[in-house]
Amino acid sequence: MSDHEGQSSTSFALHCFINGEEQTLETTAATRMLNLIRDELELTGTKRSCDIGRCGACMVLMDGIAVNACLTMAYQCAGKSITTIEGIAKNGIDPIQQAFLEEGGFQCGYCTPGMIVSVKALLESNPEPSDDEIAEALSGNICRCTGYGGIWRAVKSAIKMRGSNR
Amino acid sequence: MGMNVQETIASPQVWHPQTAAEAWHLKQSLGTDSIYVSGGTLLRTQWEAGIAAMPKHFINLSSIRGLSEIRVGESGLIIGGQVKLQACRMNTMIQRYFPMLTEALRLTAAPSIRQLATLGGNIASSIGDSLPALLGYDAEVVWFNGIEEQLILLKDWLQIARNLHPERLLLRVQLPFQQREEADGLEPGHEELVHSKTKRFYAYHKVGRREAFTPSVVTVSISGILTEARIVKDIRIALGGGQMIPIRLEQLERELIGETVDTQTIRHAYGRVVQLYEPREDIFASSAYRQTTAANVIAAELWKIAAEA
Ligand SMILES: Cc1cc2nc3c(=O)[nH]c(=O)nc-3n(C[C@H](O)[C@H](O)[C@H](O)COP(=O)(O)OP(=O)(O)OC[C@H]3O[C@@H](n4cnc5c(N)ncnc54)[C@H](O)[C@@H]3O)c2cc1C
Ligand code: FES
Ligand code: FES
Repeated sequence: MSDHEGQSSTSFALHCFINGEEQTLETTAATRMLNLIRDELELTGTKRSCDIGRCGACMVLMDGIAVNACLTMAYQCAGKSITTIEGIAKNGIDPIQQAFLEEGGFQCGYCTPGMIVSVKALLESNPEPSDDEIAEALSGNICRCTGYGGIWRAVKSAIKMRGSNR
Repeated sequence: MGMNVQETIASPQVWHPQTAAEAWHLKQSLGTDSIYVSGGTLLRTQWEAGIAAMPKHFINLSSIRGLSEIRVGESGLIIGGQVKLQACRMNTMIQRYFPMLTEALRLTAAPSIRQLATLGGNIASSIGDSLPALLGYDAEVVWFNGIEEQLILLKDWLQIARNLHPERLLLRVQLPFQQREEADGLEPGHEELVHSKTKRFYAYHKVGRREAFTPSVVTVSISGILTEARIVKDIRIALGGGQMIPIRLEQLERELIGETVDTQTIRHAYGRVVQLYEPREDIFASSAYRQTTAANVIAAELWKIAAEA
């Protein structure tokens, strides 16, 4: 086994892109993305709740795909492009966020960044999803306040808004 | 909030072997202080729940070459152990030829978790929800034992899974194509025409409080071929769920072949599931509740199949 092939690491320099900016973070290979985002980079829009992938509050985009930051370890993010809720709003409010505001898609707002990230991933890959596709895409995001009615309306409205902007 | 408990105590070393042999040697030399990690999603739940301690060494399997593709081989469809569950869920070959697997994965966790989790991890766990579907397709699994690749029927491997060496490394799963004959060209549905006088049927059910992500009470796959006269030509019934290692109910399958699916046969099947299936209880459901649920799902499915024949 060559050094390169079997290499291991405790300390780890994570090269990746966060919200479009190239970053090198000194960390450990198994540190979770959620810790890096919130504690090191102070991007606290990404929320922590269950810590085991069940609630979706910590959702981020990795190369455009929604993943749970509490499950993703630093070495799994090497070379990837990570987008947090701050990155989605980087160039002004996103139509999805506007739709959540207009349709009452939140109450306490704790689940909202994760919801918006999941909706963003869905609509970027599938701009006109069916109801089943929406339900499946959001099945990992839990909201304890809204009863989901407002969220559902917001997603439908975001689809329309984005459609008319195209 | 700072780091979680595990991260403050230990900061595991992560190894990145490029071949199965390297991974196997690492596992041998690092021993019980190490663990194979694919997506790490099941492991994370075990560490956080305190079921298992986070070991000092992770052996990351995702860099091993050749394990991340889905391809057609001589023995059927070949799915590498590192293929993500979501890639399998969306794969059109799997949707078309192995729809029970598509359905099983649609009902597994959520898309964001399936983007990290692998089919290899799901199988190697020996309790994953893909297993009853894979059992229904006579899946074979290929393991690396340190010297050579070993092919074994999934149903045989599951019977010995608990007693195997932790070094064993799952490379891929093989799904033999079923004979489709006249069925070719038909859209996958609940039933497919196999010959003009026979129909292929299949169904996968996961019973549980899915939204709460609690382990399922029961997962069932049932598939086979029925003649026009509602006689069972072929049938496979697989059961799993919760912490149960899934099994095929081969004895019941043998009893059903050649029988007409009518009220008497369905009643017989119901009774035999209760007799033959011995699920473990957990804090969510008793053994008897799981047995009754499994028997109900299988009876209802046989009823539906007969009604549609
Ligand atoms: C919120 C949540 C919900 C979930 N819901 C479901 C569900 O509905 N159904 C379900 O089945 N699972 C569920 N899971 C569990 C898990 O996500 C899946 O079982 C997943 O497929 C495991 O794959 P992984 O790659 O993450 O495995 P890992 O966590 O990396 O590994 C799992 C086990 O297999 C071993 N292993 C991994 N790959 C190999 C290999 N190639 N060879 C040998 N050993 C190996 C590891 O050492 C470990 O013991 C859920 C998990 C979470 C966090
Ligand atoms: S904190 Fe990551 S899913 Fe709940
Ligand atoms: S708005 Fe409160 S958790 Fe969803």
